[in-house]
Amino acid sequence: MNGKLLEVKNLQVSFFTSVGEVKAVNGIDYSLGYNEVMGIVGESGSGKSVEAYAIMGLLQSPGRVVGGNVLFQGEDILNYDAKQMTDLRGNKISMIFQNPMTCLNPVYTIGNQLSEALTCHNKDISKADAKARAIEMLEFVGINNADKRFAQYPHEFSGGMRQRAMIAMALICDPKLLIADEPTTALDVTIQAQIIELMKDIQKKTDMSIVFITHNLGVVAEICDKVTVMYAGHVMEQGAVNDIFYNPQHPYTRGLLRSMPRLDSESHARMIPIEGTPVDLLDPPKGCSFGPRCEHCMKICLRNDPPLVQIGENGHLSACWLHVRHGAESKEAK
Amino acid sequence: MEKKAKKYNLFHTKVDEILSANEFTSADFESATAKEKEAMVETHKSVSYWRDAVRRFKNNSVSMVALVVVILLTLFAFAGPYMIPYSYEEQYRGSMKLGPFEYSESEQMAKQTLQDADAVFSTALMPGSLNSLRKGDFAFRFQGKWYQFTLSRTMRSGYLMIQADEAEPLFTVKEDDFVAGGSYDKTPVAFTVIDGKPTDANVTIITMSKSIFPHVFGTDSAGRDIMSRTMYGARVSLLIGVIASLIVLVIGAIYGSISGLIGGKVDFVMMRIVELIYSVPDVLIVLLLQVVLQTPLQIWFDTSSIPLVRALSTLGVGIVSIFITFALLYWVGMARIIRGQVLMLKEQEYVTAATVLGASNSRIIRKHLLPNSIGQLVVTTCLQIPSAIFLESFLSFLGLGISAPMASLGSMCSDAIDTITVYPYRLLFPAIILSLLVLSLNLVGDGMRDALDPRLKK
Amino acid sequence: MTSFILKRVGSALITLLVVAAATFFLMNAVPGSPFVTEKSTPEMVARAEAKYGLDKPMVVQFVNYVKGYFVGDMGVSLKMQQDTSVADIIFNQNKLTLSTRVGAFALLLAIILGIPSGCIAAYNRGNGVDGALRVITTIGVAIPGFVVATGLLVLVGVQLQWLPVRSGSLETASAFILPVIALAFYPSCYIAKLTRASMLDAINQDYIRTARAKGLKTGTVIFKHALRNSLIPVITYLGPLTAYVITGGFVVETTFSIPGLGKYFISSILNRDYPIIMGTTIVLAALIIFMNLLVDIAYKLVDPRINLSKGDE
Repeated sequence: MNGKLLEVKNLQVSFFTSVGEVKAVNGIDYSLGYNEVMGIVGESGSGKSVEAYAIMGLLQSPGRVVGGNVLFQGEDILNYDAKQMTDLRGNKISMIFQNPMTCLNPVYTIGNQLSEALTCHNKDISKADAKARAIEMLEFVGINNADKRFAQYPHEFSGGMRQRAMIAMALICDPKLLIADEPTTALDVTIQAQIIELMKDIQKKTDMSIVFITHNLGVVAEICDKVTVMYAGHVMEQGAVNDIFYNPQHPYTRGLLRSMPRLDSESHARMIPIEGTPVDLLDPPKGCSFGPRCEHCMKICLRNDPPLVQIGENGHLSACWLHVRHGAESKEAK
Repeated sequence: MEKKAKKYNLFHTKVDEILSANEFTSADFESATAKEKEAMVETHKSVSYWRDAVRRFKNNSVSMVALVVVILLTLFAFAGPYMIPYSYEEQYRGSMKLGPFEYSESEQMAKQTLQDADAVFSTALMPGSLNSLRKGDFAFRFQGKWYQFTLSRTMRSGYLMIQADEAEPLFTVKEDDFVAGGSYDKTPVAFTVIDGKPTDANVTIITMSKSIFPHVFGTDSAGRDIMSRTMYGARVSLLIGVIASLIVLVIGAIYGSISGLIGGKVDFVMMRIVELIYSVPDVLIVLLLQVVLQTPLQIWFDTSSIPLVRALSTLGVGIVSIFITFALLYWVGMARIIRGQVLMLKEQEYVTAATVLGASNSRIIRKHLLPNSIGQLVVTTCLQIPSAIFLESFLSFLGLGISAPMASLGSMCSDAIDTITVYPYRLLFPAIILSLLVLSLNLVGDGMRDALDPRLKK
Repeated sequence: MTSFILKRVGSALITLLVVAAATFFLMNAVPGSPFVTEKSTPEMVARAEAKYGLDKPMVVQFVNYVKGYFVGDMGVSLKMQQDTSVADIIFNQNKLTLSTRVGAFALLLAIILGIPSGCIAAYNRGNGVDGALRVITTIGVAIPGFVVATGLLVLVGVQLQWLPVRSGSLETASAFILPVIALAFYPSCYIAKLTRASMLDAINQDYIRTARAKGLKTGTVIFKHALRNSLIPVITYLGPLTAYVITGGFVVETTFSIPGLGKYFISSILNRDYPIIMGTTIVLAALIIFMNLLVDIAYKLVDPRINLSKGDE
């Protein structure tokens, strides 16, 4: 074992729409070890969710993986057939979603949906055992009166409760990897904090790894070990959580951090939004996709994709021509 | 010359490595101007709602074909009757029970006459049961000239034929029982050339035919031309569809918007009424209304002198009672939709924003409510047309809507059922036209819904 | 649940009363007495009106009329079968049985054909099977019922002569086939369209993604998670479907010469036999309203989200 649970290599996903190919994910790389939490950050439309669906094999037509590899425990799961994928999903890799209000089937009880996740991977388990396990999981995620709650329908649960139930459902088979696709976005701030606490707690108790997809940098700081910043289907910056927060190198990451409200900042520091609008993926700009919105944009940025370069220890990477320019300048200075 | 740099996509690439593998000029690292940055982003032209809707509709080939069919059927219904010499209500004596493209005996004779004549006038081609030539003065037009002749006695059935190839055009009047393939006598008629169309009311103008128009769809048991009746039936259907939909739109829009705008208790009561009408089995009540309305409407039409009522009475009791039915029962769906739209829009943030910005009520209605709900209004109204046609034909089929001599596709179908084993085509033509009409109107409506519904806009 | 049912039954009764009142007052609004014919004298008319209680004030008549219904007295026929009890005509002359038989078979056929074809179309979305089904169902919902009925009559009965043209009292199985198909054609197409649309809608729901993410097999996802949700709109259609089958029955019975209640109802309308018109209208309306009631309760059972306290919407 190479110590990596998940390796994503040059993953490319496109949507083939009637008006043309939309390159939603345009070659991203990252790797995740055991017991690690990777945050994937980006604004809406940056391809972060699509990338997660691609890993889970949940892409809906017209979306398709057009290149790259996804190695899970060393095996390329993009080559798996439907049956292998079905066995993997919910069992080894689980996923929770953004909107807990719509993610549970309204016409079945929570208990039914929970035990179903267990029995479909474990045919031998008895109904009573499945129920016991489901109730145990509900308790584990902090739902009181779990045996009563077991028989209730989703509409009888609050948003936060539903997300807890979703987490319980995802964890019921003890997966190695949990992909959390904006699990707190649709929730109230106080509930958000509770869910984050719960996930941190669970992550400590199990040796599960998490891919945490969010646009909320605060959440990333709370829970993640590593961070990948995405923009328009490209990786912009990647590194350990401290490097990203305290030593951001990419103009986009800096912009994101500047646009975030901070309690610890010095007096009167303003929140500065990133100018411009996200790219139109149908018709992406030729060079750096962030170029049109970048305050440091150079001529070369308009022509060529920036290289993803190593700029620090612990795999701190950044895709920006500025780093090349600094390199060239310091070389000249010598 | 612009220098092309390689595309880098290597994992863990060191800056030094990139620098040694490529040459960069200082020009590369010059800051880009704002203009250059802007040029990078190709902005898509924003397309107006209507233009976008038209584009989407045009891309929908099924709806486009359906639209063409609707246009053709409309021409058939409204222009068609002027193209054929037969009327929908006249019973052509001797032309009963003809199949498609069949000619009656007298028409066959006229056709035969035309073999050696250039134009013919036959009493058999005249509508009505009195197709004899009464004694008196007649005038006709031939090759740009007006001619007049006098008949000294009434003829039971007569033919007037013209042979222009003679030195002088020869006019012949013939009165005989025609035997197919047989010959007939020619009796030349004295005629005079006159200047222009005679103004004397006593002179009967007759039309010379250069050919005998066939009964394309055949005739019914009473000798009525089925094609002409089908055309009028389609016309009646379209008129009912459009007018009933407009009635529904107006009543529904007024009721729905009042209910939605006022809200509160008024809304509650108004909506309970709507629910009640909604839950009443509509067709049963419609049937009752047809029974109930016939007599009083007829009396009203016969006695009233109000111009509007007189105009309505020309439509006939059957059609007007269908309009009343729609006005009483079928507006509830539209009222619900419009109330829903009004309520939804009332609570939309942009409307709140407009209010906060100080927009007046009329401006909000004009700029926000209307453009946002017009799509749905148009679509619902359009889809109401085929369902109105549906209901009218259903009633007429059961003998409760429009009845002879007025033509309706539904009553034509039901008339045809009695003789279905002998004359199936009498059912076929009105049924096909009706189905085509309803189907294509539905498809056009569906296409418009897809084109106009902004929620489907991607 | 009990309060929901009670409330729903209450509103059904109100609707029925409204229908009864509408029927009664509409029938009475027709000018002229039903006994006026060319030969009748004023005395004869007055005697006949007194005999049938038509000389009393309108409201008294209505109250008597409603009272009568509670004890099964629906009046007597004035013209069609003079002095025969309307209740007898409706319930004891095999008319209702004939109509119900055709209607029930058509209802069943529509469901049996409609739901699976809708599922098949949704499953094959975009390919030839879906396309073919879409053409059939689009035509099926657009063509008026009597065109289908008469079309079948001409094609199968007259041209091919496979099945009898007049079904009569439906004594043979072959007499059943055409009327039932004719009556079931529109609703099967409608149900198929509805099922397809709601199935596709359900498939795109978030909970389907959740179900797939759990690792459920495609079959389980479709049949357990998507189908049950997509059947909800189909269930709500069962009320209007019953109404359609009843009114469509008028056409089918007329076309195929079946002496059922529908055909009789239409004749009674054409003959202005008011007690029969009123009686039949109220019986049929009660049937439709009762079916709507059942559907609402079934809907409630299938979809746990429906709020117990609210009757409508």
